[in-house]
Amino acid sequence: MKHLTWLLLIVLSAARAEDVLHLYNWNNYISDDTLKRFEAHCHCRVKQDYYSDNEEMLAKLEAGAVGYDVIVPTGNAVESLVRRGALRELDKSQLSHIANLKPEFRNLWFDPGNRYSVPYATTVTLVGYNVDKMQALGLPTDTWALIFEPKYLEKIRGRVTVLNSQRELMAAAMKYLGYSVQEKDAAKWEEAKRVILRAKPYWATFSNSTYIKDLAIGNIWVAHGYSNDMYRAREDAKAAHRPFSIGFTTPREGAVLAVDNFVLHKSGQRPDLAHRFIDFMLEGGNAADVSNLIGAGNANTAATPYIRSEIAAEEGLFPPPQTLARLEMLRDFEPKMRRTLARMWTEIKVR
Amino acid sequence: MSDVRAQPADLTKWVVTLPPTAFLLFFFLAPALIVVVASFREPGEFGGLAPWPALSLDAFGFLSSDVIYLEIFVRSFFVALLTTLTCIVLAYPLAWLIARSPAKRRDLLVLLVILPFASNFLVRIYAWIMLLGPVGLLYTPFAVIIGMVYVHLPFMILPLYTNLEKHDPALLEAAQDLGANAWTSFWRVTFPLSLPGVFSGSALVFIPVLGMFAVPELLGGTGDILIGNLIKAQFLEDRDWPLGSALSIMLTLAVLALAGAMAWAARRGLHGTEAVT
Repeated sequence: MKHLTWLLLIVLSAARAEDVLHLYNWNNYISDDTLKRFEAHCHCRVKQDYYSDNEEMLAKLEAGAVGYDVIVPTGNAVESLVRRGALRELDKSQLSHIANLKPEFRNLWFDPGNRYSVPYATTVTLVGYNVDKMQALGLPTDTWALIFEPKYLEKIRGRVTVLNSQRELMAAAMKYLGYSVQEKDAAKWEEAKRVILRAKPYWATFSNSTYIKDLAIGNIWVAHGYSNDMYRAREDAKAAHRPFSIGFTTPREGAVLAVDNFVLHKSGQRPDLAHRFIDFMLEGGNAADVSNLIGAGNANTAATPYIRSEIAAEEGLFPPPQTLARLEMLRDFEPKMRRTLARMWTEIKVR
Repeated sequence: MSDVRAQPADLTKWVVTLPPTAFLLFFFLAPALIVVVASFREPGEFGGLAPWPALSLDAFGFLSSDVIYLEIFVRSFFVALLTTLTCIVLAYPLAWLIARSPAKRRDLLVLLVILPFASNFLVRIYAWIMLLGPVGLLYTPFAVIIGMVYVHLPFMILPLYTNLEKHDPALLEAAQDLGANAWTSFWRVTFPLSLPGVFSGSALVFIPVLGMFAVPELLGGTGDILIGNLIKAQFLEDRDWPLGSALSIMLTLAVLALAGAMAWAARRGLHGTEAVT
């Protein structure tokens, strides 16, 4: 009898162990604490795989990766996945907290009616800077002119980095010129290219990740980059008791907004757990964690009271309505346009 | 009789060469053919490739319509050449010293040469960021060369050492007896004999440098783009697989041509020294 009990226990625990949610997520995009609470809540395990950009994730799925229940793509990647028929439609009856979504993050262009996606976190591509240096040099910090205008750049030559991303940098130049980041007219993109080439001699390098450390150490004074990275640079500089502080502002000409969303991949084995996970993450206290963890913007109204006040009040992370109106999301271009822009980007790199 | 005996030998030859042949077929030839085919196709709407029958020469036409791509090729070959030459200059004395040191210390010294491989390549490059940043050399072409040389130096030292270690000291004694001073015996005996090591080391450095994208990306400045970066950008950021494939093919052809030229030069060089002796 005793043996039988043991056997039963083993069989039961084996059955329990099979309740696994496979989450394919950005690095450091959900706190361990949140995961532990969800695991306790659903009596299951969460297994995470990571990616560091959408292209990497799309390429892996394209190559036939299966078994992911939940993925966290950015808007344009959601569109791409929807068009490829790679996503499972959400069952709203299982998402009791979906009303917590902020109205401005519902019904976004890549998924009208939120049939496939639930917004999770947001990022603004903006300008981060060394506050003390900017004050000492008398430079404006609320405009793209800081990274594009030679008259300002002269004072910070070699102390500026910009993103090593064709879409992001060219979008910044387009915004500076007052154009849309979805402009179809190649002549306007040529203008943006010239703005970039004029400013390039003053830049130290194109950087996608090292600028966090460079800003926090004081190697560079101005960086074009993501709001949550700037937040981290600011906190790092604070923690290291640097004699300067880091600030960041969304340029008044407007900028790029990225919205990352939970979606269900068709190959996922556990849509039931996936729905429970998304619904759990829609609860205010859980939704707030990502903002407290990395300084991400938040798409959830109920999360606001749980977000530490110094983060929630930071306009670079949480754009106020008048700023939000000037933000644009990046959409994919068709192949011909992509090649034209890639050609301009190569020229930017070589000249 | 001889025919009967030859058969098992043929069979053995087959069995022995089958695994490497299969490996090359599956992991070199097949992927290379996929890349060749991809270069004649058209980019898909969201990246990847457009559905079949769409075949075109667009990618190659696009590349040849523009001198900018040639510029990047030339620049990459220059960086690879500079890296290789620097590696030879730095690695030669070191390899020679290791080969001449007492036998029991040699293993330790070789171990020290390969010790950096124990830590991740990116971590070591990040270390260079911290070293070069304060002295103002970070994000310069110089930093790229430093990074490239640093990463590839062991690949030059090891073949050189393996070669130099085998040299018969009697040859140098003979040269001395014939009246050569240290300098002459080095240039007339050691160096010509070490040429195979120099060539294989150069191949191990030159070719990977051509494809390297991480070093220029992390250490280079605004102008430091090499073919590796360009190819990577086509496959990831720009999602233009045909263009990326076409670039890869041109790089492969250039490398093959160069390797062929080097092999030819090496053979001629060796025959040359034989003729002298």
